[in-house]
Amino acid sequence: MVSPETSDSKPSQNRRPDAPDAPDSEPPKPVPTRIVLAMQGVTKSYPNGRVALRGVDLMVPEGDFVFLVGPSGAGKSTVIKLLIRDELPTKGLVLLDGRDLGRLKRRDVPKVRRRIGVVFQDFKLLPNKTVRDNVGFALEVTGARAKDIAPAVDRVLRVVGLTGQADQLPGQLSGGEQQRTAIARALVHNPRLFIADEPTGNLDPVISWEIIQLLLRINELGVTVLMATHNAEVVTAVRKRVVALENGRIVRDEVGAAYHRED
Amino acid sequence: MLGFIAFSVRRAWHGFWHNGLMSLAATATMILMLVLLSGLIILRTGLEATISYVQSEVQVVAYLKDSATPQDVAALETSLQAMPEVSSVGYLSKEKAYQDFLARHPDEADVINSLPTNPLPASLQINLADPNNYASVATYLNKQPTVDHVVNIKQTVDQLNTVINVLQTGGTVLLVVVGLIVLFIVVNTIRLAVVARADEIEIMRLVGASDAFIRWPFIFEGALVGLLGAGVTIVLLFLGQGPITSFLSDYFKVLPIEAGATVGRDIALTVLGTGVGIGILGSYLSVRSYLIR
Ligand SMILES: Nc1ncnc2c1ncn2[C@@H]1O[C@H](COP(=O)(O)OP(=O)(O)O)[C@@H](O)[C@H]1O
Ligand SMILES: [Mg+2]
Repeated sequence: MVSPETSDSKPSQNRRPDAPDAPDSEPPKPVPTRIVLAMQGVTKSYPNGRVALRGVDLMVPEGDFVFLVGPSGAGKSTVIKLLIRDELPTKGLVLLDGRDLGRLKRRDVPKVRRRIGVVFQDFKLLPNKTVRDNVGFALEVTGARAKDIAPAVDRVLRVVGLTGQADQLPGQLSGGEQQRTAIARALVHNPRLFIADEPTGNLDPVISWEIIQLLLRINELGVTVLMATHNAEVVTAVRKRVVALENGRIVRDEVGAAYHRED
Repeated sequence: MLGFIAFSVRRAWHGFWHNGLMSLAATATMILMLVLLSGLIILRTGLEATISYVQSEVQVVAYLKDSATPQDVAALETSLQAMPEVSSVGYLSKEKAYQDFLARHPDEADVINSLPTNPLPASLQINLADPNNYASVATYLNKQPTVDHVVNIKQTVDQLNTVINVLQTGGTVLLVVVGLIVLFIVVNTIRLAVVARADEIEIMRLVGASDAFIRWPFIFEGALVGLLGAGVTIVLLFLGQGPITSFLSDYFKVLPIEAGATVGRDIALTVLGTGVGIGILGSYLSVRSYLIR
């Protein structure tokens, strides 16, 4: 299912033969790390002529926690849309587990999406379904058997700590609880990659911290996490890998960094 | 597969009832349009009945020589009846022609009575299966020694054909135009109902639902709207059947019109097929734009 980097046959992958992102400062990891996602020379221009990304190179090894930061309009959401194959790159390669998303067949797209959990600033919950049904929805519409749904939903609700709210509607929940419902839904397919596009953008600082703690825990469970954010305080405090975008270019890629450059 | 169908039907059913207002709007539009369409079809049926009635009334009249014996006339009638172009043959004797004339023109009784003999000829009235075949019948009659002359109806037939063509073409064009308008309106109402649920579709795509899982519930839902719309329309038509029939037979007093069982069944089937068809088409087209590019 997952092609290790070494077995990848695409020559372009070999442009960076060693994994430069394996940092010295992090606790030692098994050395030939699998690359969960890679972008190589990615340029994206939208049909209206707007160029959102210019020559972006990014590699994220399995188990990483990456903050994607930058001012609004820098291209963070575009990176995410490319990773979930909502958009296709104009130039360059987007690889997920070594698979070229640009050459993915249409009918294989859903299968790839099931291996990525994704949440957004605006939770995207169905207002007339309970927490339980919102989470179960992700399984229901991907053809899961009815008897498998309830246990899987219970499991992820426990992970996000919403067992007690399972039968409430999104309208009865706080913003943080709604986002945790969305996170539970994103986890229910057991994704190897978890992507969050400004997940705390609508939440106050305390609740934002809870969400970050939750994402850190998910990362500890072995899930690779990529989070686009504006939240300088959180990024600086957590000291994880920071990839900074500006005007569609990566201007900084540092491990254990702060939100802003510290020279 | 069975699970998939069960899933789609269940989702369609929920989708229909959980979005009551949109479903109601789509169904009401569907009903309105189907009633319009079936009204037009009924009118067209009436028009066709009128046309074939008028066509059946077209007669070739052959005046007979006074020398023709009853045996001659009977033989001619038999041979005419054997022709496939002929639907029926009527005989008008000299005496009856005279009576008819008097009845129609009482003022001229003096004139006609002053003549030494009855000047009016006996005649055969031949009804045709198709008025366009009058020529072969006329040619045949002209060759008969007992026939004096045949009334030339070429002009009448031509004029009738022109009128019929105009009416039939007009009716068909109207039906097609209204059909397209109905299609457009219903498809767009269904599109509105689908657009209202764009969020739901987006979520389905994000969590990795395949095109089939997204599309089929909506197609079943469209079929449900069509089925419901057609059902209500058929009930309305059934309730309106009495008044419609009496209106039609009042309007076309002379016509032997019966909005018979087969007409009713054909219209019901058309309404059902159109409703379900447009419902499915509308959903298919509306959902398509939301699927993976
Ligand atoms: N669908 C789109 N069509 C056209 N331009 C877009 C579209 N999405 C984003 N853009 C443009 O691309 C640039 C990057 O946008 P985005 O990736 O959303 O940035 P960010 O998430 O960092 O705020 C912006 O200039 C934005 O206006
Ligand atoms: Mg954004």
